[in-house]
Amino acid sequence: MLPLVRPGRAAAPLRRLCRRILLLSSSPQTPSPSSSSSPYSTKISPLLLLLSPRPSPASGGAWRWRGVSSCAVRAVDVGGEAASTSSDLSSPYLSVRIRCRKEDAEVLSEGLLCFGATSVTVDDIAAAGNLDEITITSIYAHGEDVDSSVSNAASSAGLEYKPVYETSVGKQCDWVTVVQETYESTKVINGLWVIPKWRTPPDPQAINIIINPGLAFGTGEHPTTKLCLLLLRETVKGGERLLDYGTGTGVLGIAALKMGAALSTGIDIDPQAVTSACENMMLNEENKPTGGLELKSSKGSYDIVAANILLNPLLELVEDIIGYAKPGGIVAVSGILTEQVPKVEEAYSRYLENISVSEIDGWACLQGSRKA
Amino acid sequence: MATTLKDAVARKPVLATIRLIVPAGAARPAPPVGPALGFYRLNLMAFCKDFNARTQKYKAETPMQVTLTAYKDSTFEFVVKSPPVSWFLKKAAGIETASGRPGHNMVSSLTLRHVYEIAKLKQSDPYCKHMSIEALCKSIIGTANSMGIEIVKDL
Repeated sequence: MLPLVRPGRAAAPLRRLCRRILLLSSSPQTPSPSSSSSPYSTKISPLLLLLSPRPSPASGGAWRWRGVSSCAVRAVDVGGEAASTSSDLSSPYLSVRIRCRKEDAEVLSEGLLCFGATSVTVDDIAAAGNLDEITITSIYAHGEDVDSSVSNAASSAGLEYKPVYETSVGKQCDWVTVVQETYESTKVINGLWVIPKWRTPPDPQAINIIINPGLAFGTGEHPTTKLCLLLLRETVKGGERLLDYGTGTGVLGIAALKMGAALSTGIDIDPQAVTSACENMMLNEENKPTGGLELKSSKGSYDIVAANILLNPLLELVEDIIGYAKPGGIVAVSGILTEQVPKVEEAYSRYLENISVSEIDGWACLQGSRKA
Repeated sequence: MATTLKDAVARKPVLATIRLIVPAGAARPAPPVGPALGFYRLNLMAFCKDFNARTQKYKAETPMQVTLTAYKDSTFEFVVKSPPVSWFLKKAAGIETASGRPGHNMVSSLTLRHVYEIAKLKQSDPYCKHMSIEALCKSIIGTANSMGIEIVKDL
């Protein structure tokens, strides 16, 4: 179910606006001109996030909003189904610890996976030393019948005994926060850092992008993020308009603004990503003027389009991605392995010239300028 | 960390072995990936991105077997294998779940031809390449029996 149309608001605290999803009253029309049988163009509803740098206050504190910025978040209906298919991330799961004999561990794991477990973890067998028994931890979706699954697995594994086990309910947020604490500040290159929000920048003079990763992609550690940031460093001179296609945490959009771009727009099919990007934008003290921006009407107007996603979407959405760039504008695609480059090059060479490929660690980034 | 002879043999100390079934191209930080990897403080997003990129060549949402080795220094490696034999069997037999009492209740039957086709598919998996077709077939028949699927010569 889509939320109702809401009129645009001139100024409102970020927190409230972030959670609103405004629906453009445009007719449902897929932005991709490619055939409508492509799975991506009919199912996605990209959520749009507009960023632009804080205007320098001409007259002192008149309109400096301390810690407050605004973003317009719009859901563009591209064909009817707007629901994201991502699973409910706050749902609990079942964690089952099973004890069994060491030699049965392997077969039992197979059985458990066969009968409904979604994951099976065996602590290092070597470390178990001389113990006869070993513990397997298995994860089930909430509501699964653990008992029958374990007994089926045991009988199919040929065990004569039924393993003893205990079940506990786990919550999503427990491990998300735990993993987050392991993030470190990442130096992309001299003078450019990506810092998790709970750490202090080691180099206050550098361009520091502050990120709260959450459940979105883009902490600066991954080679593809680095490749894109390096590319932005080279191409953003000042005053450009950037489109971050598949924005994740918004790291690329925010980086461009810090490097001098005039406007950054981020779109993503994952609502989690847009929430994360909004928050990160606030952390970096960027604000934007509200005001409608029809996604479709901005086609062909961006100086730089960056798409760090995956091979298949890149191939499916070639025309859509290229369409946003102005003639002569730069298009950069990443999230591809080195071995996948030829396919991407083949698809994009129809529209791009001056193609060059950069690589880090087996990951590649392909860039070119749009043919006139 | 233990400094046994085994560790000294250029092998990073292993913390745990995690087996998962993840749909191709669709790894997300939600369960099953999230809790299983999160428990060992592994970099979830890096795994998701890496796994999704490597499984682009498979049909989307096909359940792939992944075996992850988590090392004590919070790094990890993983290998992606073909879907489990049980999934192939369920697809071939057109059933959703295997039998609760294999040997007593049979839920479906398949012919040797099905077994052979599955064995051929499995042989293209680099981790089964060393097995002969005959050995693969025997293993598949074994799995089918444990699921309550009868293998007959002809249907």
